[in-house]
Amino acid sequence: MLEEELAAKFTAYAASRIPGARNLSVTEIARIHGGASRQTYSIDLAYEDPTGPQTRGVILRRDPPDSLIETERRIEFAAIKSAYGQGDIPVPEAMFLETDPGPLGAPFFVMGRIEGGEPINPFKIEAIEPHRVDIGRQFFKHLGSIAAIPVMGSPLTDEMDMPTPDQCWRKELDYWMNEIRSNASSPQPIAEAAIRHLERNPPPPAQRLSIVHGDYRNGNFLHDGAGRINAVLDWEMAHIGDPYEDLAWATDLLWCGNDQERAAGFIPWPEAIGIWQEASGCQFDPIAFEWWSIFTHVKALGIWITSAKAFKDAVNDDPILAWSGWFTHNAHELMIAMRLGQKYAVGAPS
Amino acid sequence: MTDIAMILDRIGRKLVGEVAPKLEGDYSAGHAAMAGLMSVMAGEMWDGAADRLFTETGEMRALLQAAGRDVQVPDAPSLKVSDLTAERDALARELIEAQKALELRNDEAAQALNAQIWLFYIQTAQARMPSPPDFPDPEEEV
Repeated sequence: MLEEELAAKFTAYAASRIPGARNLSVTEIARIHGGASRQTYSIDLAYEDPTGPQTRGVILRRDPPDSLIETERRIEFAAIKSAYGQGDIPVPEAMFLETDPGPLGAPFFVMGRIEGGEPINPFKIEAIEPHRVDIGRQFFKHLGSIAAIPVMGSPLTDEMDMPTPDQCWRKELDYWMNEIRSNASSPQPIAEAAIRHLERNPPPPAQRLSIVHGDYRNGNFLHDGAGRINAVLDWEMAHIGDPYEDLAWATDLLWCGNDQERAAGFIPWPEAIGIWQEASGCQFDPIAFEWWSIFTHVKALGIWITSAKAFKDAVNDDPILAWSGWFTHNAHELMIAMRLGQKYAVGAPS
Repeated sequence: MTDIAMILDRIGRKLVGEVAPKLEGDYSAGHAAMAGLMSVMAGEMWDGAADRLFTETGEMRALLQAAGRDVQVPDAPSLKVSDLTAERDALARELIEAQKALELRNDEAAQALNAQIWLFYIQTAQARMPSPPDFPDPEEEV
């Protein structure tokens, strides 16, 4: 659908959804990079309401026309609603969810646009200096705050089953194992060996059940350029589970600027863990973290393999999917091989 | 002109350095930059692809023999990358089963061979890893 056509259809839709809006028009629409699995548009609206002329910036996230992931859109919407207004976690306002493909040709949702934000390139974290430490402290505080959101009664619980604390790891490992086995175009001996390792060495039960963002990392939040994180984005993989999953994902080496000394490439590990503990109410357990950290590599492989399949099958021809299926897939295979290769080396402590 | 690696490298640099900046502001700018990046990487990996696969399959056969597997996978009929890849994939399926069997044993020989398999994984993952292309930042180009 051309952007002009999309703008016309969205104008009609938004006019019917914004209470009291008259003479509504789309004054600007631009597609932005918001992940290859969905189409993301930044839209400026102008309209009148009983208080006078109004303008509003919104973000439209629409599934590709051939998408089968309506469930993900519902979950992303519910996750944003669950986090919105909770403490000082900067989350955009979830405005409308439309599961009917009629209005725009595919399900979509709309959220408020947070102005003045820019993402961080995970491969160039040093570019945010002199704000690296400030951003890092907020990064781990918000991560802990997400883990501390009360799960019971949150909109997310309406969209999914709640695992028991001892089921969290199994549920996630089963999901990503199935993604790998269902979508891989070639045998995956490294992923399979890692899965067996994780099965043989399960983590302790979750200390608490939390909302897990699912993709909390460098590149998925915005900052204002002056040292403040102003939006946590990309909630489509949110679920209820073990908060260690997010901690491990956030600190994966791939998006740490290859900096092993600083957690997520921002601040020293003890400080990061201390901030996360205080905000989440969890106690850091190195055994749990180790399990979830290796799991993170496996989960990443699941995403990269699924991305590669979408590209290969021409379901989605965004080159980022080819990059994911090649470079980042290789990177995570190498991380698994290096870490587990050390564990299984002759003479290594068992 | 048959220097495919050079052609891919130059096309990639053209896309990143010239085409993508001219598309700035358009969604396709990101596509052009990413396509260029991968073209440079493909140029680097193209030259060594057959050699890497040939080495991989030879090492896998040695590991499977050490594990006592009766491997029925035929040699690739040619040195085409597609033929070598098919052979590698068939051997990889065998290696998965061989490693599973080793993990069920507790003897030193099994542990030593399992360690060798992990070393093989490290080496092959390193060999498959393209170098991150060294494009300068726009401000550095000035």
